[in-house]
Amino acid sequence: MSAFLEGAERRAFKQAVYAVREEQAALDIVQDAMLRLAEKYGDRPAAEMPMLFQRILQNAIRDWFRRQKVRSLWVTLFSSLLPGRGEDDDQDPLETLAAAGVSNTEELPPDRLERKQVIEIIEQEVSKLPARQREAFLMRYWEELDVAETAQAMGCSEGSVKTHCSRATHTLAAALRARGITL
Amino acid sequence: MDNELQFAHRVRQLLSENARFGGPVAERLRAARNAALERRKAEPAGGHVVVGNVAGRMGVGGLSLRVIVPVVALVVAFAATYTWEQKQRAAEVEELDALLLTSDLPIDAYLDRGFEAWLKKRAAF
Repeated sequence: MSAFLEGAERRAFKQAVYAVREEQAALDIVQDAMLRLAEKYGDRPAAEMPMLFQRILQNAIRDWFRRQKVRSLWVTLFSSLLPGRGEDDDQDPLETLAAAGVSNTEELPPDRLERKQVIEIIEQEVSKLPARQREAFLMRYWEELDVAETAQAMGCSEGSVKTHCSRATHTLAAALRARGITL
Repeated sequence: MDNELQFAHRVRQLLSENARFGGPVAERLRAARNAALERRKAEPAGGHVVVGNVAGRMGVGGLSLRVIVPVVALVVAFAATYTWEQKQRAAEVEELDALLLTSDLPIDAYLDRGFEAWLKKRAAF
């Protein structure tokens, strides 16, 4: 399990960042997913780990969104009671993501800089995909789960997985093309 | 389909490139991994780690106490309820018998339709 987590933790973190667009929240989500996997499924065979971890990770991401929804409800309620507060919070997480990326690209040779920028654009577009499409795409092609495992992790049919993957690929390709990137 | 796979493969390559990072995030992930491994669930038979769970492992005929105890409790509760209901019913019958026997009327009177009709008629007034 140690080797599996070591190999999967960075990708899991990235997946969470694509979904929630906040590094700290993504770290919390991955930590939570690792704990749940170890506590509940620590005795499962190594072959089942990728699918189980993905299922737990996606549930943790959904839990985070649910909590955010409840929190934002309270924040809206209180900010409507206290005028003038909450106006500074109108920040697009994508802008933060992009800004953080730009700061990392300083002092890189031109070809590496361009490559880095392409990767950042890809990450932004992956982040913009509809949640289910992104899940299916990343599980199938990044985590290399097969269709059956992806379906099990996502709790849907194998046909749905294929549809989500195909749509994600086309959406992503079109979005990248629109930004002048052809892979 | 081939184009789709090719595209996905290329995206995967580039995403993986950006997932090789160090720094504080990697450190925190490592700490989280270690914390998770410390709380890891026990391996099945043949594994190295065994966490104490006496109640879960003891049992009869392959069944653990976790299953046996609730089943036994359920059976005992069912038997107790059944016995109590039987006693209640016997007491009711006993009470009815006692009322009939101590009444001035003979038991046959209750079986007489005419007497029943007379009782209803009286009750109507």
